Amino acid sequence: MSLPLHERAQDGSHDAIVRMTLADLGQPFESANIVTTISPALIPDRPLAEGEQYRFHFNMTKCIGCRSCEIACNEQNGNPADILWRRIGEIEGGTYPNTQRHYLSMGCNHCLDADCVKGCPVEAYTKDPVTGIVLHSADACIGCQYCVWNCPYSVPQFNAARGVVGKCDMCHNRLTDGLEPACVNACPEAAIEIEIVDKTAWRIDYAAAESPGMPAAGHTISTTRITLPPNSAARLERVDTGRIYPEHAHPSLVFMTTLIQAVTGSLIFALLCGGAQPLFLAILLFVTAIALNISIFHLGRPAYAWRALRMWRRSWLSREVLFFGLFFAALTAFTAGTWLIALPSSLATAIHAQWLIQLQSLPHAAQALKGLGWIAALFGVAGTIASAFIYLVPARPAWNMVHTPIDFLLSGALIGSTLPLTLSWIAQHISHLAILHSMQLPASTNTFPTWPTAIAGALCIVNQAVRLVRLNYSRLFEERATAELLNTQQMRPAVFASFALAAAAGLIAFCGGFVFATFAAFASVLLVRYLFFVSVVPLNMALTFTGGGSHK
Amino acid sequence: MIWTKLRRALGIDTRQSEYTYQKDPRFGHITSTRVADKWVKTTCGYCSVGCGMLVGVKDGKAVSVRGNPDHPVNLGKLCPKGLSEHHILDAPGRAKQPLLRKNGKLVPVSWDEALDTMIEKFGAVQQKYGNDALGVIGTGQLLTEECYTLGKLVQLGFRTRNSDGNTTLCMASAVSGYKLSFGSDGPPGSYKDMETADVILLIGANIADNHPILCQRLERNKSRTLIVVDPRVTKTAMMADLHLPIKPRGDIALINGIAHILIRDGLIDPDYIAQHTTNFEQFAAFVSDFTPQHVAEVTGLTEEQITHTAHLYGNAKAAFIGWTMGVNHSTQGAVTVTAINNLALITGNIGRAGAAPFSITGQCNAMGTRESGFTSSLPGYRKFDNPQDREDLARLWNIDVDRIPTARGLAYPDIIEGAVTGKIKALWFIATNPAVSFPNYSVLEQALRSVDFLVVQDGFHPTPTSDFAHLVLPAAIWGEKEGTYTNSERRISKANVIVSAPGEARSDFDIFLALAQKLGVKDELYPGWLTTHDAFREWQRVSTGRMCDYSNFTWQQIEDQGGMQWGGERLYENGVFPTADGKAILHNVPCLPFIEQPNAEYSLILNTGRTVEHWHTRTKTAQVEMLDHMVPNAWLEMNPIDADRLELRPHDRVNVVSRRSSVKNLELRITGIVAPGQVFMPFHFSETNSNRVTLGSFDPISREPNFKQCAVLVEKYVKTLN
Repeated sequence: MSLPLHERAQDGSHDAIVRMTLADLGQPFESANIVTTISPALIPDRPLAEGEQYRFHFNMTKCIGCRSCEIACNEQNGNPADILWRRIGEIEGGTYPNTQRHYLSMGCNHCLDADCVKGCPVEAYTKDPVTGIVLHSADACIGCQYCVWNCPYSVPQFNAARGVVGKCDMCHNRLTDGLEPACVNACPEAAIEIEIVDKTAWRIDYAAAESPGMPAAGHTISTTRITLPPNSAARLERVDTGRIYPEHAHPSLVFMTTLIQAVTGSLIFALLCGGAQPLFLAILLFVTAIALNISIFHLGRPAYAWRALRMWRRSWLSREVLFFGLFFAALTAFTAGTWLIALPSSLATAIHAQWLIQLQSLPHAAQALKGLGWIAALFGVAGTIASAFIYLVPARPAWNMVHTPIDFLLSGALIGSTLPLTLSWIAQHISHLAILHSMQLPASTNTFPTWPTAIAGALCIVNQAVRLVRLNYSRLFEERATAELLNTQQMRPAVFASFALAAAAGLIAFCGGFVFATFAAFASVLLVRYLFFVSVVPLNMALTFTGGGSHK
Repeated sequence: MIWTKLRRALGIDTRQSEYTYQKDPRFGHITSTRVADKWVKTTCGYCSVGCGMLVGVKDGKAVSVRGNPDHPVNLGKLCPKGLSEHHILDAPGRAKQPLLRKNGKLVPVSWDEALDTMIEKFGAVQQKYGNDALGVIGTGQLLTEECYTLGKLVQLGFRTRNSDGNTTLCMASAVSGYKLSFGSDGPPGSYKDMETADVILLIGANIADNHPILCQRLERNKSRTLIVVDPRVTKTAMMADLHLPIKPRGDIALINGIAHILIRDGLIDPDYIAQHTTNFEQFAAFVSDFTPQHVAEVTGLTEEQITHTAHLYGNAKAAFIGWTMGVNHSTQGAVTVTAINNLALITGNIGRAGAAPFSITGQCNAMGTRESGFTSSLPGYRKFDNPQDREDLARLWNIDVDRIPTARGLAYPDIIEGAVTGKIKALWFIATNPAVSFPNYSVLEQALRSVDFLVVQDGFHPTPTSDFAHLVLPAAIWGEKEGTYTNSERRISKANVIVSAPGEARSDFDIFLALAQKLGVKDELYPGWLTTHDAFREWQRVSTGRMCDYSNFTWQQIEDQGGMQWGGERLYENGVFPTADGKAILHNVPCLPFIEQPNAEYSLILNTGRTVEHWHTRTKTAQVEMLDHMVPNAWLEMNPIDADRLELRPHDRVNVVSRRSSVKNLELRITGIVAPGQVFMPFHFSETNSNRVTLGSFDPISREPNFKQCAVLVEKYVKTLN
């Protein structure tokens, strides 16, 4: 049996390749083989006790920003150049010549309250019960990227070629073998090491995790200990704040959320106004099917979408999937029922469908059906709220506002209050088709009021306007950065257009041009949703000035 | 195909297979893509630190790099360039076949046609305009064996004296300075001295960016005081115990001022001065003018800082001075080196453990070219003007002594100027990229366009230089050939074959031998030579008894020891110098302002330099995706005071304009790293080439360019339609 690595490293007579880096970088070469004093290595030399876990220690006073750790990490994990599980950041302060620049080198912080773990709908994440390492299973992952949104350090990164997320696992397999993680091994200054932390004590006092250039450690209780320079009198600030990129637009989510909110809103409006007629419902069901299919293709691994139901007890994404699934089922049943009841009894007789005749003559069939409709609507609203909660994550401040659920509900109201008119109008035209005509379906009612569209439009505008003002005057850099992004030449016209279209929807609806109103309402909501996705500025560690190494 | 695509789109087959892990028997758990069949011991081919590495090979492909834990230089650590060096071997930009310009276009030709054409064109030019109409620019990228072979080929085969290395852009000033003070080139110290010195003074050396592995050596020294002299608050300056934010080119004044204080306060070593130096009286009188008050005015430092530095240096038991391009890249570079040597000499801080005036070199084998090259001196640190040296060589080579030139030919900048004026009619560049690295690009471009025949021999194509070529010769690079590199501390290390060269690319050595064969000088110059080892054996004989004596160790010994230092751990331990009287010379070095001072129009001083992620002109590192992704473009650093004055904001796009030309569309970085009145940009990027604006002024002694200071203005970039 081989000696523990520490001993092998110390006695120097074994294969040098496995020799570890010593905390004091070892002795000058000549005496390397005659070690007189025992230097601590850069990984713990004892097993973990109950209530302890591993963590990174990053010594900022030693780091020279050489970026060997970043390369070593990619070489260790075979990642492409644009995916970095360990990243370097620069922070700077002071005035010439008393300028200070320091570097951050960060992998995963293996947080005590890791939000990636909580949000994952498929249990791809586990916090290892022994080591405390936050592990991610690429096999289990369905590529929903919800963890990417949840992590305040932007640690998990989506690998589009694989369709799954990946992240730093502290090279736990190397650690298990008594070897240093690749970054620890590569650092020429011994600035990174693995140590043991007492979880209870750390939960009480995690001040040593805080550093300029790092999001507040309290969100998730990062375990990485950072040794700061003693004389950091100069205020060290990020140097990458002038480089704000638009985020991914997620078009599939823009359409999915818009459509499903439109359907929910329309259903409720139709139920209220007695307009839930068979053809109308058939179209709604069709739109819902489209929306849900689109959402599946947002995933990196659509074939495994079904797995997303698993973690409904803790993941809002699972709940969204669950509620919208139930919504679809309920809507299907409601639509089918409506059709069956609506079919002329002559038809039932003609096809000898005794059960249908019985069904149609059941007492309270219509009321029961309406009840089913309301159940569907309830699932729709629940799904919309679950959907909104997905975006209420501290790691994405511009999403994490009350305006998000309000917007989702109002969007349903805005489109939902005008879409039924258009759909009924379409339904009326369709019902003239020979095959449908013979069924003598009940005529669509055109008794929908138009004032709700105007009110919903106005509320949408107010909601967005208040959000913009709040973003603009926020104390949080990321929220102000979102406001700044929305004010760029590229995005400003879209912001104005979304307001104008919401107003137009209300006005046109008032004037009876419901088809145009529907169009305007859709366009407005789609624009707002697009801007919602692209303009969010996530929390992240400070990166470098040239922007290289960030996952953009 | 469609099935796979469908599976991929659905996420069933997610390339998980490409992301599996295995347990490498030597290195442990790692991605399967980096598990090697065998590990080749070699030396890094980037900078002059000379790190030992192990390159993993699988199925004839280099898949991984590890620092060699047994190598005395780096003890297993590597910088990001070294750690990703295997990626350059199969980079898409490798030159794979000889290309000849026909009807204005470079077209593939056979090696025979390529070399025949080269001999014919060079021959025609030399016949018409004289032998010296051929100019050759070599490199510090070749193996020592190849440098040695090339020198003989050029001087004795092609018979032109106008041959120089790109090392003139880099450390020629250090060579000249050493020669002036000690009578010979040769950095006297070792990296080990950085571990044992109690005061380390770094002048114009940003080792954290440029030689990061040396920081590890510094870090081992727990009791050292690190003083960094640099106008910019570099990464290295931030590591310092004392940073001296000196005005550009205030270094001579500072060094003389330190000498002044040392003499004034009796912190010199009179015995050493008396026994081992000459000219002390005149020197002492000369530096008496460099009072702390005067020096403070010139350098912008306080008198206290200057005195404190002098006392730290003077009281040190062993003091080490290291420098790089901040000193060398100047019209006063050579004399600045002698000024540094003065300090070491008057305090006896030379030839002892921890004590040395130490030039940290640039390229992996800049030292090898200095020793074995046939450019600024004869091989083996022999002198052109020394009849004994010439006769020695003639005897060793078994040739007529008259064939050895009695004076060096044109230096690099003079060859370029010669091409513009019509004196040089054919040019041959080997493993160098002047279109990015040479100052004042417009003159260089004119030179490249003026010659009748331009040959570019390189491992990569296209490069900004090979774009001008009439003939491109594809060469093997690091990892594809066997021989030795010598690092800054005179350590000869072995570079080995990891993979074979791509396509039709041939090693530079093979190309030189093939040319000699076609010239008809192969049997005379390289009798019986087949491999670089034959060159090494002759070079051992040629260097025997010289300061850079390679005869004491074989390739195998070099390999086994992780490199061996010629001259031992340090030179001049006995205080005897290779001058006429055996004593080192103290030179009086006046401090002159740098040439192009800012004025009202060009009000800023441009400083140029490097960043850790890239190597020189990026022919290699732009091909390593990870490195290129980290720093994909250049930037301009400007102090907030100047930015306010010019109403510029971070990330603004700006132009840097000098009297010569301009660099357009640079990203602005507003930072306190640079002093007010100064701006800085990295020189690596051909797209935004700093050498469009730099000054074509050269040190009169070393001929090294003044890359570090020129007057510029900065204006906002305006996008134009063309």
